Amino acid sequence: MSSTTTVTAPTGSGHQPGSVGGRLARKSVLARWRPWLLLAPALLVLAVLLLWPLIRMGMFSLQDYGLPEIVSGEANWIGLGNYTEALTSEQLRTVVLPNTVLFAIASVVCTVVFGTAVAVLLASLGRVWRVIVSSSIMAAWAMPAVTGTYVWVWIFDADRGVFNHVLQSLGLQDQPVNWFTDRWSFYAIVLLNIVHHGFPFVAVTVLAGLLGVPKELLEAAEIDGAGPWRRFFSVTVPQLRQVFAVVVILSTIWDFKVFAQVYLMPGGAGSNREVLNLGVWSYVESFGQNRYGFGSAIAVLLTVLLLLVTVVYVRTILKEEEL
Amino acid sequence: MRRQMFGRTKTAVATGALLALGLAACSSGGSDGGDDGGEGGTLDVWIMQGTNPSGEKFFDEVGKAFKEETGATLNVEFVEWGDAHDRFVTSIAGGTTPDVAETGTTWTPEFADAGALAPLDDYVSEAGLDGDLVEGLAEAGTYDGALYGMPWYAGVRSFVYNTEMFDKAGIEPPTTWAEIESAAKALKKEFPDKIAVAVPGDAEFTVYPWVWGAGGEVATLDGDTWTSQLDSPESQAGLEFWTGLAADGYSSAGATTWRETDVLDSFAQGDVGMAVMGSWTPGAIVEANADMEGKFAAVPIPGQDGGIAPSVLGGSHLSMFNTADDKDLAFEFIEMMTTGEFASKWGEQSGYFPGQKSLLEEATSSTDPLVAPFAQQFVEGGASVPVSPNFGAVQAKLTTSTMMQSILSGDQDVATASKAAAEEMTSLLNGGS
Repeated sequence: MSSTTTVTAPTGSGHQPGSVGGRLARKSVLARWRPWLLLAPALLVLAVLLLWPLIRMGMFSLQDYGLPEIVSGEANWIGLGNYTEALTSEQLRTVVLPNTVLFAIASVVCTVVFGTAVAVLLASLGRVWRVIVSSSIMAAWAMPAVTGTYVWVWIFDADRGVFNHVLQSLGLQDQPVNWFTDRWSFYAIVLLNIVHHGFPFVAVTVLAGLLGVPKELLEAAEIDGAGPWRRFFSVTVPQLRQVFAVVVILSTIWDFKVFAQVYLMPGGAGSNREVLNLGVWSYVESFGQNRYGFGSAIAVLLTVLLLLVTVVYVRTILKEEEL
Repeated sequence: MRRQMFGRTKTAVATGALLALGLAACSSGGSDGGDDGGEGGTLDVWIMQGTNPSGEKFFDEVGKAFKEETGATLNVEFVEWGDAHDRFVTSIAGGTTPDVAETGTTWTPEFADAGALAPLDDYVSEAGLDGDLVEGLAEAGTYDGALYGMPWYAGVRSFVYNTEMFDKAGIEPPTTWAEIESAAKALKKEFPDKIAVAVPGDAEFTVYPWVWGAGGEVATLDGDTWTSQLDSPESQAGLEFWTGLAADGYSSAGATTWRETDVLDSFAQGDVGMAVMGSWTPGAIVEANADMEGKFAAVPIPGQDGGIAPSVLGGSHLSMFNTADDKDLAFEFIEMMTTGEFASKWGEQSGYFPGQKSLLEEATSSTDPLVAPFAQQFVEGGASVPVSPNFGAVQAKLTTSTMMQSILSGDQDVATASKAAAEEMTSLLNGGS
């Protein structure tokens, strides 16, 4: 705030208006610049904290940048070498990308569907129960990712986990099974973890939207003979299009970037190459080995991928709005 | 209070500009409160957290003695092992490295290669310590013919077993691989629900003894070129034996993804008959479960047909960074820590062996049943992983753990998995990716 006043002050005192026309011109200049002046502090902070690191990342991604370069401070340009290496890597094509993309799709779908179901439940509950249920789901949301991950790891632990114990007491398996060594069961556990951690946000956001749907519309539909499913999908869902857009975009971005929930699982830190995803792969391949240029290139690729996904979503939503 | 003070120091180091202020406010152990660091200046030191359970008290004492001797204030900051590598790298990048730091033995060549460390040979000669440094550790701290890491302490892994289970099964501690197998068989028969021998998948240092014990090598250097020997017939025989114990059902399915900490947890619960564990673990076992006191013992890791299978000497150096203003002062601290009274005290408190030969001889004459076998392993069966600035890359890529997990989970046989691991290790050691 204080910086805004100091910036505007010289402009005002420097040009004393002599005529009406001058005053008008000054006013319009001031009017044109005022929003920018007011935005300046925030933009400055964003530029320092976000833009500059982004530019640096782009610069690193074009270099073979390791510990010696960090110490000497010298640049070591190699053009698009890092990008070529990343994009032609067989591991990226056969393991990393499928794991990342398919997992993101699966978890976004599951999170949004389950979250919406919980929101509908919440909307139909009375006041007391709504408070009880929403505070319990908030607990799941508030749990740090690391803590949550360890809880799931304990549940599925091969020797002492509850899951194997139950299966064995029911006679469904003879020997303990290590669920973390198989690609599919590994990601099934990650999916549980992510959905458990992610659905409260969806539920709360969709609930806010649900409560805003006009009652008259639903009543009119009921009078016209629409059943509950029909009412939900033909009346409620179209009303909530924007809410779903926000929820889906944010979930997609989060689920593409999953790191801790994979890295902390047994074998997830790189010793089980079958379960690497983009986040862990870039960490292990580049930062574990001080190849910061290569790591930056992967980060740039991930950013571009997410921007594309976001642009497609936003465009679709806007187009439907125009219709 | 202390925690808060260290937290403040961290921020100060990170912001750089506040460095002097932070040091003045947080000098630990200084008798005068360290208003201006005193006439002798301040020495900034990073020490890894968790090695010595009473590390803070130890450094309060060191700080006092250091102040008396040099007039300088000692500023110790404790760093978590897990964060340490990243913090070193960022501080090297930002020029905010400490004057002296504890560096893990496999990191020293890496930081020396990056040009961040100062060579110590002249100081060592001047102090008359030539020939008094434990060889395996000095070798690990030598890069390009110069010593960059002053041997401080090291531990070694041996074969730890549960004496109660052994007594019930009526067996003696094994001295050959055949005896390990028959012991595992007897334990499994007596305790079908327990783990006879823990074969962890994510613990590389428990794997190399079997490679060496069968006459294999991890990697060899010829001229400038490293070649991994993990797929040699000898190495494969060692891997075949060790993973074979799991295939025969003497380990557990869960152990496929275990780290050494998981082995420790299960052993402390009394669920494991035999395991490869470090000389620093006996204290931790009793701390985790007081009932285990007196119920376990150790022997050196048996070689294939008797003798001792070599095991990695893992430990720490004290390294001086190039950014140190007063290098003589820095070495005075290094000497104080790595020789004499404080070095042996550190060893006693932490369960590690000192890096000074004359002190080590003292420690190895111990008759303590939980020290003597480790000491024997240390002296007669100590080995080093390949001394290359790129071995950190091999560790970061978990090459050996990847091989172990794919064998233990049944995805690949020993021949296929060891061949893939050897190719990857060779490429990484030679600077490839």
